[in-house]
Amino acid sequence: MFTDKIEIKDFDKMDPEYKELLGRVLTIQADCEIGGPHLYVEKMLPAAPTKLDQLIVARTAAEEIDHFRKVARVAGDIGVDVSFVLSQPNEKRFVDAFRGLITTWEDNAVFGFLIDRVGRYQLEEFYDCSYLPLQRILPDIVTEELGHIEYGYNKTLELLSKGDKQKERAQSAIDYWYVRALDMFGRSGSARAERFRYWGLKRRSNEQAREDYIKEVNPILTSMGLKVPDPLKGRRYV
Amino acid sequence: MPQTAPNIEKLDEHLLEVVRALHGAVKQGVSHSDDPKVVEKSIGDCKEILDVIMAGRVSEWLN
Repeated sequence: MFTDKIEIKDFDKMDPEYKELLGRVLTIQADCEIGGPHLYVEKMLPAAPTKLDQLIVARTAAEEIDHFRKVARVAGDIGVDVSFVLSQPNEKRFVDAFRGLITTWEDNAVFGFLIDRVGRYQLEEFYDCSYLPLQRILPDIVTEELGHIEYGYNKTLELLSKGDKQKERAQSAIDYWYVRALDMFGRSGSARAERFRYWGLKRRSNEQAREDYIKEVNPILTSMGLKVPDPLKGRRYV
Repeated sequence: MPQTAPNIEKLDEHLLEVVRALHGAVKQGVSHSDDPKVVEKSIGDCKEILDVIMAGRVSEWLN
């Protein structure tokens, strides 16, 4: 296991595998940060239920753009240009959950509640990671992601309080996003994930992070009066 | 030191300005929530800024 802590000045001396994996993880992270606004801004900014919600959609997008900027800076400083993800169509996003378009408020609420939560897990993988410039940008980003998760949770609760029909729609959104959330952790037993861990770029295996997420989310769903979806139905990466 | 990616400085500066402008527009709307005209204008400003970012014409921003 690699236990050193690396600064930009040390990067050129690093093993090619380390350079490749760091560039890859930063590119995917940048894609996920900008992928959110590309999913919900077009339809949700004009269609959020209240003016305040419209403003919060805009603020959330602003924060995600800023997260992209910070990750792009860390990548750019080691020569990795991630600017192409700003202009690529949603269908080409690295992670399935970001391919498509959010067109309903239920989906928007549940996206914040479930998918931004996976985003938090992904960021937590870099806590105490070997690349210090990446570690340094985490606290502010995670704080803002916690805000997105809480907003999504509250908006989902709000929907559940509006009667059976809304509850049914919220449950459908949960069914849709839950499996995508679980897939975001990647394949169990992934050899590449092990190399990320070897180089100190991630803390947990894919299956461990997914298991932790399930342990956190399932009781919340139950406490909200929602059904926990089948964790295997419709999954692509088990 | 590694060679930096082209335009990273410019992109960083541009996006920082975008983020500040968005936060400014949101703040204006939220703090005047009892004035529908101000709120509408704030939402319109946010939309205008975000439309440009969503269009993703990076080379145009940087030039």
